[in-house]
Amino acid sequence: MNEKDFKEKNNAEWLRYNAMMEVVEKGDVGNVDISQVPAQVRSRCLDLSLARYRVYGSRVCDLLNYQVTRGHHVMAKSESGMWEKVVHFFVAGFPQAMRREWRLLIVCWLFFLVPFFGIWWSYEHDPEWVHSLLGESERANMDAWYGKDSKGGMRDEFGSNFAMFGHYINNNIGIDLLIVAGGALAGVGSLFVVLSNGLQMGAAMAYVMHEGSPERLLSFVSGHAPYELLGMIVAGMAGMRIGMAMIKPGQLSRGRALMESGKQGLPLIMGACALTFLAAIIEGFWSAEDFPADLKYMVGYVGWFLLLVYFVFAGRGGGIREEGTRS
Amino acid sequence: MLFMANKDIRLLDTRQSIELGEGVEIELRIAGPFPRALALLLDMLILGGVMILVGLLVSALALSSVMVAQGVFLIISFFMSWGYFTFFEAGKRGATVGKRVLGLRVIDRSGNNITKGQSFVRNILRLVDMLPGIPTTATGVLVGSFGLGFFCCLFTRKFQRIGDLVANTLVVYTDPELLMTGQEPKVDAAAPGVALTREEQVALAEYYNRAGMWSEARRIELSDHAYGITRQNGMAGMVKLLGMAKWIKERK
Repeated sequence: MNEKDFKEKNNAEWLRYNAMMEVVEKGDVGNVDISQVPAQVRSRCLDLSLARYRVYGSRVCDLLNYQVTRGHHVMAKSESGMWEKVVHFFVAGFPQAMRREWRLLIVCWLFFLVPFFGIWWSYEHDPEWVHSLLGESERANMDAWYGKDSKGGMRDEFGSNFAMFGHYINNNIGIDLLIVAGGALAGVGSLFVVLSNGLQMGAAMAYVMHEGSPERLLSFVSGHAPYELLGMIVAGMAGMRIGMAMIKPGQLSRGRALMESGKQGLPLIMGACALTFLAAIIEGFWSAEDFPADLKYMVGYVGWFLLLVYFVFAGRGGGIREEGTRS
Repeated sequence: MLFMANKDIRLLDTRQSIELGEGVEIELRIAGPFPRALALLLDMLILGGVMILVGLLVSALALSSVMVAQGVFLIISFFMSWGYFTFFEAGKRGATVGKRVLGLRVIDRSGNNITKGQSFVRNILRLVDMLPGIPTTATGVLVGSFGLGFFCCLFTRKFQRIGDLVANTLVVYTDPELLMTGQEPKVDAAAPGVALTREEQVALAEYYNRAGMWSEARRIELSDHAYGITRQNGMAGMVKLLGMAKWIKERK
């Protein structure tokens, strides 16, 4: 059979197929017999193989190629049970990923804590480092918020809690995602942002501890610190997972390792966003409220404790399937 | 060998073959950096426009409370700058508005639709691909030159930027290439004197299909390359080659 006969024989069928796909792609599945779709797609596959085998040239082949691709996209659609996946992620997927990446957890904490305490310690010997890191305006801010003689609530205006909540979402989750993306620069970007955050926070801490009112600062940060700091660390881990694929792909090719790192890093990215979102809620609506300092410290301790319990014990049950483990 | 080896042809082509579960190979046409840049430009204009609109609406709201309005604006700008691409590319059509206009879509390297996770990952890494630039949300949308993404596209065979490499995705054209057709050449079918390989048969069929679009000089220029089977140069060679092609196309 030559090309012309082949086209003439099948043309009506192809037109019907196109019409059917049009409807199915719109999701309007009530109007067609869906049970026919797989058989129809398979017969387009057959047509395509025949056309290629018989060397019919690109016009027919391209047309059939398009029809098969279209059918494949309709048939290979998955992604169901969205809520089930979300629940599974929080119950098992996220803590499992954290335990799997415990080495990166340690590395990222070190890249935060060493500069944090280092700059704090330096203040007793030479306050210049902290002063230059904070700068004139930041020190003025610190004096206004956490100074010895600053008084009263931190946010007086109505609705300012909500404005700050918006700011924390935009800024802090944005920084998390920046840390993740920075991992694609061989991990340097992630570690740099984590480290500079450690320096900045350490400097602020040292300055307020020595020059301001520690209680004002600590009672403000204690509530949301567990989630915000860990969120940043987890983002660092996700970034480093991608960075490590470039630096040390192991037995895989670099391209393959990068691809795997995307899959492995995904639960960490989502976890970082979730933790930072939680932190934004607390920082927006709780941290600046006027409650006794001891109660606020308590909330902070409880937060750290809950996180520890969650990441050590969640998702260990025998009935819960391990996901994304390395084979 | 009369024509180029098959492997070399692939090097010149932006087509990517993928074998499906049905046992048939499909060919995807990978989109290069330029149509993608155009799509991006469109998306940026849309994002910018939407953010201006949101700004106007929110400032109307600001009459009751400036602070609440500010919070609302920041949250919307966060979701627009990080969520716009992720949301649309994870959708049914696998394309943002800009990509759809340009006839592009994002797919998994296996030819399937991408998952929400893949869409999320490839669009977070947009931030690295847009370097050098100002990766900041201060303007409401992320801005950058996409220099790194561009170079990464040029150095990978499937035009993948860093986000594509990590998320294992490709950007392809959705519709088949529109082949121009000219007048069908008027020649008599003539059986080729030698057995032709499959690649040669395909090449002849393509030559015949496209001959109508070319000038005579161009047709002869190409048919001269096939001297090995026609044994004639110039006009006579061209007529002979077209005759063979016609014979191949019309045989039962």
